[in-house]
Amino acid sequence: MKIVESAELREFREQCRDWLADNVPKQPRPDDGEPMRDFDLAWQAKQFAGGWAGINWPKEYGGRGASVLEQLIWHEEYALAGGPPSGCMFVSLSHAGPTLIVSGNEEQKARYLPTILNGTENWCQGFSEPGAGSDLASLKTRGEIQGDELVIKGTKIWTTYGQLARWQELLIRTDPGETRHRGLTWVICDMQAPGLEVRPIRTMAGLEHFAQCFYDDVRIPLKNVVGEVNQGWKTAMTTLGFERGTGTVAHQIELATRVDRVIEAVKSAPGGADEAQLEMLAVLKSEVMALRSMTAASISRGLHEAVPGAEGNVVALYFGELTRRVNAAAFDLLGPHSLERSGYDYPAHFLECFKWAIGGGTSEIRRNTIGERVLGLPKGPKAV
Amino acid sequence: MIVDLIPDEDQSAIEDTIVSFLSDVLPVERLRDAANHGGAAETAVWSQLCELGLFGLGLPEEQGGLGLGLPEEALVARALGRKLVSPGVLSQLCAPHLAADEATRDTLISGEARAAFAIADGYVLDGAGTDWVVVFGPGGASLRARGELTLAMTEGGLDHTMTFERIEGGAGTGQPALRIEVLIAAYLVGIAQATTDMAVDYAKTREQFGQPIGAFQAIKHSCADMATRASAADTQTLYAATVFGAGGDDAVEAAAARVLAKRAALDNAKANIQTHGGMGFTAECDAHLFLKRAMVMDMLGSDARARRAALTA
Repeated sequence: MKIVESAELREFREQCRDWLADNVPKQPRPDDGEPMRDFDLAWQAKQFAGGWAGINWPKEYGGRGASVLEQLIWHEEYALAGGPPSGCMFVSLSHAGPTLIVSGNEEQKARYLPTILNGTENWCQGFSEPGAGSDLASLKTRGEIQGDELVIKGTKIWTTYGQLARWQELLIRTDPGETRHRGLTWVICDMQAPGLEVRPIRTMAGLEHFAQCFYDDVRIPLKNVVGEVNQGWKTAMTTLGFERGTGTVAHQIELATRVDRVIEAVKSAPGGADEAQLEMLAVLKSEVMALRSMTAASISRGLHEAVPGAEGNVVALYFGELTRRVNAAAFDLLGPHSLERSGYDYPAHFLECFKWAIGGGTSEIRRNTIGERVLGLPKGPKAV
Repeated sequence: MIVDLIPDEDQSAIEDTIVSFLSDVLPVERLRDAANHGGAAETAVWSQLCELGLFGLGLPEEQGGLGLGLPEEALVARALGRKLVSPGVLSQLCAPHLAADEATRDTLISGEARAAFAIADGYVLDGAGTDWVVVFGPGGASLRARGELTLAMTEGGLDHTMTFERIEGGAGTGQPALRIEVLIAAYLVGIAQATTDMAVDYAKTREQFGQPIGAFQAIKHSCADMATRASAADTQTLYAATVFGAGGDDAVEAAAARVLAKRAALDNAKANIQTHGGMGFTAECDAHLFLKRAMVMDMLGSDARARRAALTA
């Protein structure tokens, strides 16, 4: 346990700060549809031009190749400068791209990685299905090999920004004789392919941030398979080693800023804050500080371990639950004025934040994983 | 501030030494025997405790210490909490930092003179055989000679394994003691971790309906929440210890550590009792010892109002 500071890191921080101050978009980010996608891609292109695209990607694939501590500094400065969420570029930068880097062949890397980094093409994820959510390994969408093509039949759901994406990382069952994690294949799907219909899904926050995809004999060339046929689970899992806990730094800082904002609003309200309100605020403030410390601890572990363990679920669970508490607090503390959807728009933040305890693993699944893989408790009833 | 929160080799060695010593010499089971209450077990092994060199850990070498810092002291405090070691031992880590003169400091580091904690406007805890009392007042902590205080032994308090001597008259004010705040938090974190381990161990072995109760999500999720609360409090406490004195806001960092450590210790101690079911309600099971100690330890140091003010400033 020690403070890690060096002249190089300080200089790197200055570089980040200077570039971000000059380049972070001043205009607000559209919250839906093609204007949002175009905004996200333009911001990606700008980062690419500035030499900041793919902060954690290796240099040989055009990334910045930043060390873990440099990534942390970048994300801190990014949040402090009010940088927008990666949005429509998130899957491309944090999942599809890293998967191609680790498991793709040279042809695939040369074709798809540059257009992610320079903001010309974005990706979405086709993993979950109506019948395979938390239990992802039960997925049923079929991929039948016919000659040098895969023919896809089935449906995928919760595809974030699917209607706005150019490519999709698609996980399908290619060996119908196998079950669970066996017999799956990870393939690059063209979102403009004939037979693929994408229907947007409206969320409780009133936005169309998800889609359901329907595949009616969609034909994908076999050369789009990443990794081996029937080894798709392995391909999908290879990106785990890419995650070093730095990806959530910006969310964590944004949440801390939100708590400070509520503290200020409550204290400046007529009559000020009573002790009960101060206690509630003090707890939230402590919790966002703990989230920062837990993130720092995850990143520290990343400095010492090759592949992160299941402990990341502890931070993810804490983040998901805390985000809901923070965004609900405004209504308890500020009263009726918090209901109005103007100015700071507490309702928008509140409605949107439910996703953090559901997407990417519900809080309940995370508790199972912590129980079984961190604490070593026995598994529950076996999946069949 | 960028920190590495993983203990380095030397820090791990210090922690391993104290953890294995306490497991051998002061296991929690000792408290099942009333003869070991009130710090008596610690008194019996006092010379061994002194030999560990804990009490000057965070003092500079020119003051007779080991020249280490608050992170190392926090690891020790956490280990003390895990074994519910008498708070006198924790106060002995803090007292040399408050000593007004060299002679007092030296005898506290060597263990020749002994210290105890007192709760503000309240009680000296496990005071038998001690010479100095770390007292808390509106301004913070100070070190008072035991002989200067007017004390009255009570019949006991919430934690039946401790003695409570009522302080007649005020204990005065002192210097801000954020260092002690972090160490109290670390002790409470030790309780939060030990109760998590105890509940998890029980959930793995206790069988009902033909399987270990830890296979049921009601128990599994409770254990996961215990581990998460402990992790939040632990990392915040170690963060506060690591950045202490480095130019950040120590008061806010320490207050957050206390708020989280309190919640983690109390909530986990209660969840541990619940996980143990009927056994958890018995005197025979150690689960209740952790709850009682957590409630007393949380009364030490700053009060909740001051922490709230720091965190919402």
